[in-house]
Amino acid sequence: MRIELRVNGDMYRREVEPDLTLLSFLRDVLGLTGTKWGCLTGDCGACTVLLDGEPVVACLQLACQVQDREVTTIEGLGTEEGLDEVQAAFVSNGAAQCGFCTPGMIMSVEALLGSNPSPSEAQVRESLSGNLCRCTGYNKIVDAVLQAAQDRQMANDGS
Amino acid sequence: MVDVYVPETLEEAVSFLGLHAGAAIPIAGGTDALIDIRTGRSMPEWLVDLSSVPRLGDVELDGEVLRLGALVRIRAVELDPELGRRATAIVEAARVLGSVQVRTMATVGGNLCHATPSAEMPPSLLVHDAVAEIAGVGGRRSIPLAELFAGPGRTTLGPDELLTSLLARAPASSAGSCYLRQTVRWSMDLAGVGVSASVEVDGTVVTDARVALAAVAPVPLLVEAASEAIVGTNLPPEAAREAGRRAAAACSPISDARGTAGYRREVVSVLVPRALRIAWLRATGAWTQGVPAPVNGMSTGEDL
Repeated sequence: MRIELRVNGDMYRREVEPDLTLLSFLRDVLGLTGTKWGCLTGDCGACTVLLDGEPVVACLQLACQVQDREVTTIEGLGTEEGLDEVQAAFVSNGAAQCGFCTPGMIMSVEALLGSNPSPSEAQVRESLSGNLCRCTGYNKIVDAVLQAAQDRQMANDGS
Repeated sequence: MVDVYVPETLEEAVSFLGLHAGAAIPIAGGTDALIDIRTGRSMPEWLVDLSSVPRLGDVELDGEVLRLGALVRIRAVELDPELGRRATAIVEAARVLGSVQVRTMATVGGNLCHATPSAEMPPSLLVHDAVAEIAGVGGRRSIPLAELFAGPGRTTLGPDELLTSLLARAPASSAGSCYLRQTVRWSMDLAGVGVSASVEVDGTVVTDARVALAAVAPVPLLVEAASEAIVGTNLPPEAAREAGRRAAAACSPISDARGTAGYRREVVSVLVPRALRIAWLRATGAWTQGVPAPVNGMSTGEDL
């Protein structure tokens, strides 16, 4: 099947097998390996990407159902010059250890902050409940998100 | 390999399903369908992608009648403030299903038609008197939602039929509803027991009520004997407990990883009075804690 979609701002037109997942499309067709191949059952959240700004698990999303839509992956964040606020806060808070869950975590956080710029701790925990971390533990991740929310608001207020 | 067919109309969808009976299954959010294919539980030759069929994703409120299209996303239900007021149980069920990512993808119709006994949406829709609207090659029909479920993973839909929408009762006042569940984990878990209740009142007296259960029988159960125990009362604790006993007697749970049959029955007898109490407090305007209710009804600040 022929699909046409935007990934991190760039248009792509590709011929794909009908049962190809968005996860395989991103990793194997486009070479964007920041989105992780985890459980393949939608439980771990390591493959979380944004579809028109909303978080989805790419392992349960058929690529052919993403026709004409906008996908944002971890590679779409930040700039050549530096990390975005969420990525930077994960680094400064020690919120990544092995790092496997981190791209999915950060994409869930981007979705949260997109709709709720100053979330409570409970809202942060709820929005990350579909992202499993098996090494860092969640406290530093939650700290990072709360700091990222503050940093982003300060940056927005300053501009 | 599975092929994908993308119908543009409902008629195209049902005629394709009829033509490929047994070899084609509909796909909406994909959160159950793709897992079933990967695990070998379903081996279709065709996926019928419903996302281009018009109007299946609509939410409409017309007077007291709520119409939820089968392709309405769980996340859309969760975030709808008007539904939070008028179909509280349905919103509370949506809020605890899977994760944000799963809710963003999964649909109301998919959750019903996958017919998992522990599914979140059925009890809440049952207590709102949901009617299932179905389309097939031979035309359309409507059935009470309870009649959609045939057993674990099985519905009464014909091979050419699709659930198109749910019609639910969503009164604007003097009514309240609630969905509670018992789980081992707070998130990304299936209900060990799911309980939903709705209550309508005249003043403080219950004029009508519904109690529905999930995960304690092969299909979601509407337990009339339980609601009959409280109609005509102003829900004294003993009447609520009697409703709980009747619900526990009506269910037929199994023992599995999420609990033993005896434990599940006990949980039903505890959660039914709590759910009724919260629904009644909402119906009488005395509930002050908003939506959602605490997940299993605990910590509500009063003896439930």
